[in-house]
Amino acid sequence: MLNDEFIAKIEGHGSLTIDWKKNKVRLNIFEGERLFEGMLVGRTAEEMHWITPRICGVCPTAHNLASLSALEHALGIKPNQTTILLRDLAQCGQMIQSHALHLFFLSLPDYLGIDRGTELAKKNPEAFKNALALKEVSDEIVRIVAGRIVHPTRTCIGGFHKLPSKTDLKNLLKKLEKTESAVQKTVELCAGLDYPELKVNLKLVAQMNNKIVAVSSNNIFGKMESLVKNYKKDIKEEIKNYSTAKFGKYKGNEILVGSLARLAVYGDFKEKYDLDFENPFHNNLAQAIEIEVYHQNAQGIIGKLFDMELEPKIVKPTKNPSFQGIGTIEAPRGGLYHEVHLDKDKTINYVNIITPTVQNLTSIEKSAQALLDQTKNRSQKEMERLLVMLVRAYDPCITCSVH
Amino acid sequence: MDKSSNPKIAIYDFTDCEGCQVEMVSLREKLLILESRVDIVNWRLGQEKKEQGPFDIVFIEGTPITQEEIDLLKVLREKSKFLIGLGTCATLGGIPAIISQTERKKWYKKIYNENYKPRGIDALPLAAYVKVDFLIHGCPINNEELVRIIEELLAGKKPSYQSYSVCFECKQANNPCRIIDGKPCLGPITQGGCGGICISGGSPCYGCFGLREEANVEGLIRILEEITDKKEIERYFTMFLSREKNAQR
Repeated sequence: MLNDEFIAKIEGHGSLTIDWKKNKVRLNIFEGERLFEGMLVGRTAEEMHWITPRICGVCPTAHNLASLSALEHALGIKPNQTTILLRDLAQCGQMIQSHALHLFFLSLPDYLGIDRGTELAKKNPEAFKNALALKEVSDEIVRIVAGRIVHPTRTCIGGFHKLPSKTDLKNLLKKLEKTESAVQKTVELCAGLDYPELKVNLKLVAQMNNKIVAVSSNNIFGKMESLVKNYKKDIKEEIKNYSTAKFGKYKGNEILVGSLARLAVYGDFKEKYDLDFENPFHNNLAQAIEIEVYHQNAQGIIGKLFDMELEPKIVKPTKNPSFQGIGTIEAPRGGLYHEVHLDKDKTINYVNIITPTVQNLTSIEKSAQALLDQTKNRSQKEMERLLVMLVRAYDPCITCSVH
Repeated sequence: MDKSSNPKIAIYDFTDCEGCQVEMVSLREKLLILESRVDIVNWRLGQEKKEQGPFDIVFIEGTPITQEEIDLLKVLREKSKFLIGLGTCATLGGIPAIISQTERKKWYKKIYNENYKPRGIDALPLAAYVKVDFLIHGCPINNEELVRIIEELLAGKKPSYQSYSVCFECKQANNPCRIIDGKPCLGPITQGGCGGICISGGSPCYGCFGLREEANVEGLIRILEEITDKKEIERYFTMFLSREKNAQR
C-alpha cells in the first residue's frame, strides 16, 4: 500500500471509487486536515499573507494577494497605482507558472502517451523546450515582483517591502518578447489534442470586479450575477464523510471555476479556438489560451510601469477602519476568497477561506458521473483511465481544497 | 551507463502545500541532468509508475498528520536505505505545527462540525516517528542546496549541513542587519543555505532552515527582549519551530 490508491499527477491526495454495478463514481479526499482558518486566529495581520501562501505551493502568490487584499480592506488601505500594477503582474506570472506546470507535467502526458513530464524531452523536444521557456519566464516574473518563485517575500500590507528596478522590468520584458513563439506553439499543441467526448451542463463561474458572474455551459451569453460581499451566502460548502475537503455549490448549482469558466465569462473565444464549454476536458485548451492572455497582459503592465514613476511608499491604515475585510482574486484554478476580522490591535479573530477547488469538487463528481454514463463500449480499465484523465483536466488542487 | 544500476529514488508527499516539489521542478534543465543519474521509481505528483521498493533514497515532503501517513512513513523507513526530509514541514513540523493537538480538536468542530470524524492526529516532523538520515530544510527548500545535497549523495558521501548561520549569507547579500535596525530576526541561530532570501525581500527570518549547530538561542532571546515584547518573540519562535524539539533525536 504505497500510495497505490491515490490519483497520480494531481496536487494533493484523492482517489476515485467506482461502483461498476450501480454505475456510480465518487471522489474521495484524503489530505490531513490543515485548519488554516484556525491557526491564523490569534496571530497578527502581518502574518496572514505570510502563512496563507503555505496553503498551496502551486498558487502561493494568489493566496498571498488575496490575503493582502482582505487585510487592506479591513484596515481601510487603498493601495497606490504602482502596487496595483505590480500585483497584477505577479498574478500574470502566477497564472502562467501554474498553467504551464499543470499542462506539461500533469495533464499533457495523458494526451501524448508519456508518463513523467520530462519524458517529453525525448518525445517532442521542441514542445519540451517551450515548456521550460514558459516555466522560466513565469518564474522570473514572480521572482522579480514577489521576491521568490514559491512563497513571496517582497509583498506587504499597503504595498511592497521592495520594488523591482526599471532595469529588472526591462530585462523581464525582453524575456517575455523572446518567449512569444513558445506561447503560440503551446496553444497550437493544445488546440490539436484529441479531447475525449463529454457533455455536461454546469454553471461556469468567475469573479468580475466586485461581482461573481455565472454563465451556463450551454449558453454563455446569459449572465447571472451576485455580489462578492455575499460570497459566503452564495457559495455553500457541504461536509462529506468521505472527504477532508468541503464540497462547494454556487446558489445550489454545481459549478466549474478556472480557465474554461473565465474564458466563457470574460469573452467569447469559441469561434477562434473551437472551445467546447460543455466539455470540461477543454479546460486544458483553455489553460493554454490563458497562458497567451496573461503573457500578453504581463507585457502591457510592464509598458504602463515604464511610463510612470514607481511609488515605493507603503500606504498606512486609515484611522477608523472596519477591521473586517474580504479579499478576492482569480487564482489559476478559479475564484479565491479570503475573509479576515481583526481586533483593534490587529490580532486576527476570524478567518474564512473558500478555494477554487472546493467549488470545483462537486462538479468533478458530476462530470465524472456524466463521463461514466455517456461513454460506451470501454473496458473498466480504459474507463478508469478516462476518469482519472478528467479529474486531471480539472486541475484540482486538493491541498488548497483542504485548507 | 546502464540505467538499472542507478540509485532507485522515491519521492513522497504527506499533508502539505507541495511547494518544495514545485521548487524542484523549477530546476528545469538541471532536473533532467539529475534524472539521468538516478531512476525515479515512485513519484505520485510526477508519474503513474510506482514501484514498491526497496528504495536507495526516499525523499519525503510534508507532515505526517493522519494515521495512514504515519503508517506509510514507517513502511518507507523499512524500505529505504537513506530517508530524507524535504522541506520544513517534514524536517521541523513547519507551518502545520503552528496548531497544537488540543487546538486541533477545537478547530475540527468549528471548521467542520460537531459530527465530523477527523483523520488528523497531530502535526509532527518525520523524526518524531522514525529515524531520518538527513534534513533538507526550508519553506520552501533552496534549489542550490538541493542540488548540492543530491550531488554529495550520488558521490556516495553523507551530505553535510551548512555550518554557518543565515547572518553569514545575509551579509553576503548586502542586507542591512534587522537586529541592528531594531527588528526581530532569527537569522543568528538559523542554519544557512537559504541565501538570506526572505530578509533580502524585506520579510523577517522565522528560522525555517532550523537551528544551526550550537545555536545560542538563549543569547538571542535576551537580545530580542531588548527589541520587542515576549509575545512577538513567541510568535517568531512558533512560525516554523514550535515542534523543533520533536525533530531532535
